[in-house]
Amino acid sequence: MELDEELQAVLDEQGVVLTVGEVRRVAELIGRDPTLVELHVFNVEWSEHCSYKSSKASLKLLPTDGPNVMLGPQEDAGIVFFTEHEGRRWGIVIAHESHNHPSQVLPNEGAATGIGGIVRDVDCMGARVFGTADPLRFGDPTGENADRTRWIVSGVVDGIWQYGNALGVPNLGGDIYFDETFDDNCVINVVAIGLVAEDEIIHSSVPPNAHDEPYVLILVGKPTDDSGFGGSAFASKILDEEEQAEDRGAVQVPDPFLKNVLAMRKANEAVRERARELGVTIGVKDIGGGGFACGSSEITAAGDGFGIDIDLRAVHVGLDGLLPETIMCAETQERYVVAVPERFADEVLRIYNEDWDLPNVYEGACARVIGRITEDEMYTVRFDGRIVIQAPVQVVTSGIEYDREERARNYAGVEPDFERPADLGETLLAVLGSRNVCSREYVYRAYDSEVQGNAVLRPGEAGAGVARPLPGCDAAVALAVDGNPKYGRIDPYWGGANAVAEAMRNCAAVGAAPQALTDCLNFGNPEKPEQFWEFRRGVKGVADAASNLWLKGYPDGTPTPVISGNVSLYNESATGSSVAPSPIVACIGVMADFAKAVTVQLKRPGDAIYLLGERKDELGGSAYYEVLGLGLGRNVPQVDWAAERARIYAITDAIDAGLVAACQDISDGGLAVALAEMALGPFGRGDVGADVAVGSILNGLRPDRALFSESGGFVVEVREGCEERFEALCAEYGVEPMRLGETSETAALEIELDGEDIIEVPTAALADAWLGGLARILHS
Amino acid sequence: MSESAGPRVALVQFPGSNCEWETRRAAEAAGIECDVFRWNLDPEALAPYDGYIVGGGFSYQDRVRSGVVATKEPIVARMMVEVLERGKPALGICNGAQVMVEAGLIPGVHAGDVEMALAPNRPDPEHRIAGFCCRWVFVKLACAPGRCLMTAGMQPGEVIPIPIAHGEGRFTTGDPGLVARLQENDQVVFQYCDADGNVEDRPEINPNGAVANIAGICSPDGNLLAMMPHPERASFLRQVPGDLGGPWSRRRREAWGDAGALETPGPGRVIFESMRQALLAAQPA
Repeated sequence: MELDEELQAVLDEQGVVLTVGEVRRVAELIGRDPTLVELHVFNVEWSEHCSYKSSKASLKLLPTDGPNVMLGPQEDAGIVFFTEHEGRRWGIVIAHESHNHPSQVLPNEGAATGIGGIVRDVDCMGARVFGTADPLRFGDPTGENADRTRWIVSGVVDGIWQYGNALGVPNLGGDIYFDETFDDNCVINVVAIGLVAEDEIIHSSVPPNAHDEPYVLILVGKPTDDSGFGGSAFASKILDEEEQAEDRGAVQVPDPFLKNVLAMRKANEAVRERARELGVTIGVKDIGGGGFACGSSEITAAGDGFGIDIDLRAVHVGLDGLLPETIMCAETQERYVVAVPERFADEVLRIYNEDWDLPNVYEGACARVIGRITEDEMYTVRFDGRIVIQAPVQVVTSGIEYDREERARNYAGVEPDFERPADLGETLLAVLGSRNVCSREYVYRAYDSEVQGNAVLRPGEAGAGVARPLPGCDAAVALAVDGNPKYGRIDPYWGGANAVAEAMRNCAAVGAAPQALTDCLNFGNPEKPEQFWEFRRGVKGVADAASNLWLKGYPDGTPTPVISGNVSLYNESATGSSVAPSPIVACIGVMADFAKAVTVQLKRPGDAIYLLGERKDELGGSAYYEVLGLGLGRNVPQVDWAAERARIYAITDAIDAGLVAACQDISDGGLAVALAEMALGPFGRGDVGADVAVGSILNGLRPDRALFSESGGFVVEVREGCEERFEALCAEYGVEPMRLGETSETAALEIELDGEDIIEVPTAALADAWLGGLARILHS
Repeated sequence: MSESAGPRVALVQFPGSNCEWETRRAAEAAGIECDVFRWNLDPEALAPYDGYIVGGGFSYQDRVRSGVVATKEPIVARMMVEVLERGKPALGICNGAQVMVEAGLIPGVHAGDVEMALAPNRPDPEHRIAGFCCRWVFVKLACAPGRCLMTAGMQPGEVIPIPIAHGEGRFTTGDPGLVARLQENDQVVFQYCDADGNVEDRPEINPNGAVANIAGICSPDGNLLAMMPHPERASFLRQVPGDLGGPWSRRRREAWGDAGALETPGPGRVIFESMRQALLAAQPA
C-alpha cells in the first residue's frame, strides 16, 4: 500500500496519468521497473487518445472492409478506390480527427493544429491533399456562457482559415451546430481528403526491403521543443476551468508556412518523386499525437519484424536543455519521420535542407538521420550514450484494452403537446433564421474554397462539396459531413445512424454515389457507465447504418466501409456533464462525370417538384421544436434501411440520367426548410420560386408537423418533360415519388393546403431571415 | 528559347506560394509554356524568359506586410530588371499583386517607390468573424482594352465574374492626388462592380473597400498588371458557379452534363490569352 502511494506521488509529480496498476503492467511486460523516460512514453502510448483502450472492442462493430477499399483504418488514413484513368488506378485518401480539448482552451491554435495534423495524415500516404471539411459543435451562443462561446467560435474559425488558406487546401464543406451541452467542451472535428495513384501509395511502416539493405530513420520538420508536451494525455482528461491556464501548455503550436513548403507539392513530393525514380521504397509517418515516441515506434512496429535504435541527441531541437522525455513526447507540429535506405539518406537530406532550404524557411527546421532500423524488434533509445528506453517495439505500441462497464441511460423526454402556430410563414422565417438552420456563409466566406482551381460545387451550392481533383479526368469526388447532436441526446444509436444516412444523402443529392465513410466518435467519460453506454450505442448506430446502407453497384449486403476514424472521449466538464453524444460522420461520394453535379437552387419555372421519403411523426430533436421552445421531444428520426437505400440509388440514377435540375436532402427544419433553401440558392438570390401543395403528403400528420418533420428524404426539381421517366426510374427501386407542385416565375415559396396558402413568403424575405441569421445570433 | 517554341514564362515560387499549379494550368491552356521557378534558384536563369507570373499564396507567411519580404529576394530584383528595362510582360495575382505593389512596380509612377498599399480588407458592417474573404465578385474593365497588355483581348467595359480570396486586398494610398492621376493615365484596369457593371462602394459590390473600387492596376507602360482577383480560378467554364447570375453562370448551366463544354474558357482566360499575344508580339520574328 505504502509503495503504491509512493509510486502515485512520483506519477503525480511527473504529470503521468497512468494508474499504479498500469505501471505494474508495464513492468510486467518489459520484465523490470520502467525508466522515467519509459514511463512518459507509455503514458502517451497508453493514453485513450493513442491506444483506444476503452473503445477498441466497440470499434470492431464497424464494417471496415469492402470491394472498393484500398486501405482500411490501420494506418494514418484510409484509402478508397476512386477511378481508373489512363491505365492507372487512383484512390481517395481520407482522415478524420478531433481537436476538441485544445480548441476549448486555445481556440485559434487548437483548430489550426487540427487542420495541420489531418493534412499530414493524408499527405504522408503519398497523396496530394485537395480538400478539408470542418464539422464544428459549439455551446449556446446566447446562453449564460455566450461570451466564451463566441470567443471560441471566432477563434476556431480564424484558426481554420489562417491555417488552411495559407497552406493552400480548399475547404469543401463542414457543418455547425450550437447546443448548450458544448458550453464547456466544444467539438472541433476536421476531415481531409487527398488523391493518390495506387502504385504510389506510401505506407506508414518500415518497408520490407529493410531486411535486405540497411535503412535509417529521418526526422524532418520543425525543431522539437516542449510544445504540446502531454497533449495526448491532455486530450484524454476532463476539462476543468480552473486548470485551463496550465492546460494551454499542452496545446501545440501550428505553422502553416513551414507546412506549405513540406507538404504542398513541394519538399515531401520531391523526395517521393526521387525515390520513385531510383526505385527505392520508403515509409513515411506523420508525427502527431504522442509525438516522436509514437511516430518512431509505430512506423517501426507497423513493419514486419523490425526494431529501431535511436540517438535522441541527433534530433534537432529548438530549445536548450530539453529532457529526453520531452524530446520523446512533445507534440511539436510540422514533423514527419521517413524510413529510407541508408544509400538514399544523403540525397533526402539535400532535398529538404538545400533544395527546399528548410533551415531558412523556419529557424532550426531541417531533416536529420536520427536512428537506424534493426532486426532485433526492440525499441532502443539512447541519450548521451545512455540507454533510456529499451523494450520490444510491439510492447511499446500494443497498448492496453479495458472492458468498460456500460449502463443504459433512461431518456425521460416526451413529445410536447402544442397548438399549431397561427402563421406558419412567420414560423418558417423563425426556423430559417435559427441558430442551427441559418446560412453558414457568414463562416465559410472566410475559408478559401477556390484554391487549387478544382472546385465543382462549393460550400453552400449543395450539401456536399464536389471537386474534380485529377486534371484531365472527368470523375469527381463529393464530401459531406453530418451528425446532429440533438438526435444523439435523445438516442445515441439514432444519432449515429442518422449521421451516416444524412452524410450519404448529401452526397447522393449532388449525384455522387456514396463510397466510404469515416467516423469521429465524440463522447463523454468512458469510466462512467452511462456515458460509456452512450458511446456503445452511438458506435452501434454508425455500424448498423454502414452495414445496411449498401454500396451501390455491388452485390446486395455489401456495407459502405468505414475506412478511417477517430475516438475522442472525456468530452466532459468538471461539473460532470458530458457533451451531446456526437458521432460525426464524413462520407465520400464519387461521380463518373463532374459535369452532372447538381446544386440545390431551383433552375427554371415550369419544372416539377417531387418529394422522396414519406413524412413521419419524427420531430424529436428538430429545429422546429427548438424554435418553438418545446425542448427535445422524443420521436427522433429513424432510418428505414431499405427505403433509404432505394432513395439514394434512385436519386443518383436520376441525376446521372439528366432528369434532375436541382436537389436538396431533407434534414434540419424538414421539408419546409428544404424547399426554402432551394428557392434561396447559395447566395440567397434565387429567382425561381416554388408553388407546392402538401395535402397529399400529410400522412395523417398535422400540416405543421409534416412540414417540419426531419424524417430523411429528398426534394427534387425534375426537368419539365422528364416526369414520367423520373417516376419510372423511382419505381424500379420501389420508391414512390410524391408530386408536390411546380417551380414558378415568382421568386417566392408558396405552400398550399386544401386550396389555401398556409405559407406564402417572397424569397427576399426568406433571404433576410436566413442569410443574416448567424451574424445576428453571434452579435446580439 | 528556340524560335519554334511557344512563349515561355517563369512562374515565380516563394515559400508560402500556393497557387502554382492551377496558375500553370491556366497559362498552358492559353498556349503559354510555364515553368515554376523556385525562389532559391540562380536569378540569372530568369533572364531568358519572355515574361513572368507572380501568383497567389502567403509568401513568407505575410510577415511584416503581405508581399514585402518576397521583394527582398534576388529573383525579384532580377525580374524587375527584365520588366522595367526590357518591357517584358508580368502578371501579379493576389499575393503576386501585393509583391508588385511592395516592390514599387505598381502603380510605378516613380518606379521603385512604394506608392500604394494593399491594406487589410475594410471591416464588414456586419462584424464578420474574419478579415479574410473568399467569394465570387464581378469586375469591369475600366481602362481601354489595349492600355494593358494583359487585357488587350477584352471588350471595352467588359464585366466578368471572378473569385477573390484575400485578407489584405484593399488598394489604398496616402497620396491624395494619386488615384485621379492613375485614372487620368488610364492605369486603373479593373473595378469591382455588380453583374450589370455598376461601380458602387457597397460591401456587396466592393468586397474589400478598395479606393475607387480598384481591383487591378497596370504600370505606366502597361506591361505589368497587378490584380487581386484570381483569373486562374476562372479560367475554365467549369469553375464558374452556376447560381451566380449573369451570362457566364447561364453558360455554365447550359453546359450541364457536357464535360467538354465545361472545359472551354472561363471569364478569366482572356487575361492569359492577352498575355500570350503580348509575349508573341515581343518575340523576335
